[in-house]
Amino acid sequence: MHSTLNRVQAVFGFFTTVAFAVAAVIAASVLICPQAPSAKLELRNVQVVKGRPHYYSTKREEYAHVKFDLDADLSSLFNWNTKQVFVYITASYPSSSPGKVPDSEAIVWDAIIPSNLAPWHQNTYIHPISKKVKTKTKAKKKAGKAYPAGTEPGIIRLSEQKPKYQITDYSGKMAERSNATLTLHWNIQPWVGALVWTNKGTVGRWTGLEGGEAHFDFPALKGGEVKKEDLKTEKGGERNRGMPA
Amino acid sequence: MDQVLEKARDIWEGEIDFEGQRVAEYASTALLILVGVIAFFAGFFTDNIYNTLYTGLAGTALTFVITIPPWPVYNRHTPSWLPAKTGSGAYQGVQIQVDGQQVS
Repeated sequence: MHSTLNRVQAVFGFFTTVAFAVAAVIAASVLICPQAPSAKLELRNVQVVKGRPHYYSTKREEYAHVKFDLDADLSSLFNWNTKQVFVYITASYPSSSPGKVPDSEAIVWDAIIPSNLAPWHQNTYIHPISKKVKTKTKAKKKAGKAYPAGTEPGIIRLSEQKPKYQITDYSGKMAERSNATLTLHWNIQPWVGALVWTNKGTVGRWTGLEGGEAHFDFPALKGGEVKKEDLKTEKGGERNRGMPA
Repeated sequence: MDQVLEKARDIWEGEIDFEGQRVAEYASTALLILVGVIAFFAGFFTDNIYNTLYTGLAGTALTFVITIPPWPVYNRHTPSWLPAKTGSGAYQGVQIQVDGQQVS
C-alpha cells in the first residue's frame, strides 16, 4: 500500500474477489425466488409420411409430423437472474428393447424466450398472434414479442401449433409405434449461475411443473396423396437472421 | 531539472506514510465489501441485475478514487527519521564482520 501502483494492484485484486463473491450470492439467490410453473400440453394431430432426409437422398424414411396445443405459464421461471428460457417439446417413444435401450427422444418444437432485460437477438422467438385478437390494434403493438399481447415473458398460448422439426428414427420407421409421450421441457439460462432444467418435483420454494405431458400413439403410415400444407413446419426465430432490427 | 524530475517521480510513485497505508488498506477493504453488499440488494429489490452491475462498478470506481491517489490525509503522520550519517562517520560505532574477520 506504500505506492500508487501497489495500491492499484491491491484494490483491483480485492475487487475481483468481491465481484466473484457477489456473483456466487446472485447465483444462490435464485433458490429463494419461488417457482410454480404450469402447463397444459395436448396433441392436436400426428401424421406419419414417407420422405427423404434431403433432396438428393435416395433413402426413404418415415417422418412424423406432430401438431400440438400448448397453454403454459412459465412466468415464474423469470426471476431477477433469468436471462432467457429455452423451451422445447420432445416426443419420446420406447425403443425396440425397452429394458436395455433407453427411450428415444426427439425435439418437435423449441423457442428462446428472453426476459424483458435481455438485449434484442435475432434468434428470439416471436409468439404468434392469436386469431381471436388479431384484429385488435392493441395486439399489433405487442407483435414481435416472445409472449402474447398484454402478458409477460413465459406465457405461451399456442393453438394448432405446427412443429419446427419433423422427426424420424435411426431405423427409418415411425409408424404405429405406441406409448409415445409429448413432453414440455425447459432450460433456464441465468445472467450469473447455473443452468437449470425442468424439475418435476418440489425442491424448496420451487414447485415442480404441473402438467406438460401428453400421451399418444403414432398412427399408421399415411398412404396416397398427403396435402403439403398439412406437413408444413414452423420456422423459428432464426428466420429473422439478416433482417433489419 | 533534477528538482522537476524528483517531483515527477514523487507524483508517479505516490508514496504515503505508514499510518496512511493502514488507513488506505482498511478503507479499500471496507468500501469494496460495502459496495458488493449494496450492489446485490440494489439489483435484488429492483428485479434488475443491471443495477447490480452498474452499482458495483460505480462503487468500485469510487473506491479507486478514494484509496489510490496519495491524498494528503494519507501523509499526515510522516515519521521523523534520524538524521542521515555521511562520510566515514557513518560507520562510527558499527562493527562489521565478514567471515569472522573484523572489517571495520
